[in-house]
Amino acid sequence: MRRYSPRVFRFASKFFRQRSLVEEAAQEVFLKAFTELGSYEGRGSMEGWLTRITTNTCLNLLRSSKRRPELVASDLTDDETAWLDSNLAGAAMERHQKSERSLVAADLAGRVLETMTPDDQLVLTLIDGEENSVKDVVDVTGWSESKVKVQAFRARRRMREAVEKLLSRKKDEL
Amino acid sequence: MKDKLIDRHIISLIESGPLASLSESDLATIRVHTDHCSDCLGAFQAAQVSAILLKERASEVFEPSPFFHTRVMANLRERQAQGTLAPLWTLARLWRSAGALASTMLATVAALSVLTFVIPGNELGPASQPVTSLVHNYSAEEVILDENAQPEEPLSDDQLLTSIYGE
Repeated sequence: MRRYSPRVFRFASKFFRQRSLVEEAAQEVFLKAFTELGSYEGRGSMEGWLTRITTNTCLNLLRSSKRRPELVASDLTDDETAWLDSNLAGAAMERHQKSERSLVAADLAGRVLETMTPDDQLVLTLIDGEENSVKDVVDVTGWSESKVKVQAFRARRRMREAVEKLLSRKKDEL
Repeated sequence: MKDKLIDRHIISLIESGPLASLSESDLATIRVHTDHCSDCLGAFQAAQVSAILLKERASEVFEPSPFFHTRVMANLRERQAQGTLAPLWTLARLWRSAGALASTMLATVAALSVLTFVIPGNELGPASQPVTSLVHNYSAEEVILDENAQPEEPLSDDQLLTSIYGE
C-alpha cells in the first residue's frame, strides 16, 4: 500500500480538488483492492490494475455527487475574473505556456469541470490536461476506443462552449 | 456559404484533439481564418483558455498523509469486524488462485508426459526396431554369417517370370 498509494493519490487528484475527497477515494480504492485481490490474476501490472480500480471508484464517487449548475460570470471571484481578463487580452498560446501555473486557474478549471458530467471530466482531464493517449484512457476505463474519441470530442466542445459563454459575458460587461 | 463551411471546418479543427496537438500548419490556418472571422476567434480563444485551465488543473496533485495507511488498515479491520469483509477472505481468495495455478500446472505436466512417452512410441515404431533388436541374443557371427537364415528354395522359371512381369 505504501508503494502504490502515491500513484493512487496522484490519479484521484485529477478528479477532486479537496484533499478529503481524494483521501476518501484512495481509501475506497485500497479497500476494494483488498477485497478483490483474488480477481487480480497477475495479468498486467499491479499498477495498471489499481489505476483501473481508481478510475472506476472516482467515476462512481463523481456520479454520486450532485453536478453543479452552469457557471456564469457573476459566480466568478475577483481573482478568476482578473485571470480571464488577462488571458482575454491576448490569448496567444506561446504566452500561456510560459505563464506560471496559477492556483486561480486551477480553481476556475475545477469549477468549470464540476458543471460537466463525470465522463466528460475524465476524458478532458486525462487527454487534454494530462496529455494521455486515447489508448491510455481505453486501458483505465475499459471503454472502446471509439467511445473515448467521441466522448473527448463532445466534452471538448462542451468545455469550450462553457468557457466561451464566460468570456462573452465578460466582454459584454466590459 | 463558403465562409460558413470554413467556419465549421475551423471549429471542427479546434475540437478534433487537444489544442497542444495541433500542427503548425493547422495553427496557421486557424490564425489566417480568425483574422477575419470573429465567431471563430471567440471559439479559438475559448479553446485556448480551456486548454490552459485543464493543464493547470492537471498540475495539482495531493500526496498521501503519513496517517493514511493506518487509517485504511483501521477501516479494513472495522469492516472485517462488521462482517462487510469475510475474516478469511484473503486465504479463500489465495486458495482459489492457488487452486487454479495447481490445476494448470497439473494439466501441463500431463500434456508433457503424453508428448514425451506416448506419441514418440507410436510415431517411431518402425524406426525403433533396431533398438529393440539389440536385446536379442544375436552373436556377431550369427549376424555376419547369417547362419540362422532359412535356406531359400530355388524358383522355377515360371515363378521367376511371374514375379518379374506379374500375372
